[in-house]
Amino acid sequence: MKLAVVGKGGSGKTTTSSVIARTLARSGKAVVALDCDSNPNLGISLGVGDAETERLVSMRESLDEGDEEHAPTWETLLSRYGSDAPDGVRLAVVSRIENPDPG
Amino acid sequence: MSPEQLLGSVEFTSDEVVVADFEAGVGTLTRLEEQRVDTVLVVVEPTPKSLEVGQRATQLAKDRLVGRVVVVANRIRTEADLETVRAAFPGVEVVAVPDDPKIVEADRKGVAPIDLAPDAPAVVALVGLARGLVPSPN
Repeated sequence: MKLAVVGKGGSGKTTTSSVIARTLARSGKAVVALDCDSNPNLGISLGVGDAETERLVSMRESLDEGDEEHAPTWETLLSRYGSDAPDGVRLAVVSRIENPDPG
Repeated sequence: MSPEQLLGSVEFTSDEVVVADFEAGVGTLTRLEEQRVDTVLVVVEPTPKSLEVGQRATQLAKDRLVGRVVVVANRIRTEADLETVRAAFPGVEVVAVPDDPKIVEADRKGVAPIDLAPDAPAVVALVGLARGLVPSPN
C-alpha cells in the first residue's frame, strides 16, 4: 500500500506521517517512511533524533551530486541510505533530483 | 530517482506500507502519474491559505484516480473550525485532529510525538486515523 501525505508547509504533514508510520508498524506492517520534503525532518518526528536525521540528509545530498544514472534503486536507497526508526520503521530521505519547474 | 518515479518503481504486498511525506505544496502530486499511490492524506489547518492548497491537492488526487482521499483537519480548536474544513471539502472524508500543545512540545524537544505523549488528543486522533487506513488483520 502506498500512502502519500500532502499539504501546505507547516500544516502538520510530518507529524501526521510520523504517527501513521509508527502506528502501522506497531500493527505488524512492514513500513517504509519516505521523506520527500525539501526540508527533510521526518526523522525527528519518527524519533531517530536530530543527529541521525542530519546524517541521512547530508548523505542524500552527496548522493545527489553524482550522476543521475547512478541514482539508487528502491532496494539500494533503503539498505544503504536508510535508517532504522523505532517500531521497525525504515526511514529514507528522497530529495528531488531534477527540477522540472521553470526558472 | 524522484519520489514519484520511486513510488512507481515498486509494488507492495498488503503487509507492506510506504508512507511518503511529500514536499510542501502540490508539486509532487502534479508530477505523479495515475494510480501510483493508493491513498492521499491531505493535511490542512483551518486557515484560508492551507485550505486552498488542500483543495488543489484534493482535485489533483481525484484527477489522478488515487483510491482514496482523506482530509486531515489539523489544529482544530472549535466545532466551527471543523465546519470550515468540512465546507471546503464537500463529499470528501474529513478526520479531525485537535489542536494540541503536546505536538508543539515534541517539535521543540526534537522527539516523536507518539513517544512523548501517546495519550495526547492529537496523537490519539492520528493513531485512530492510521488504524482506519489499512484493512484489519482479521
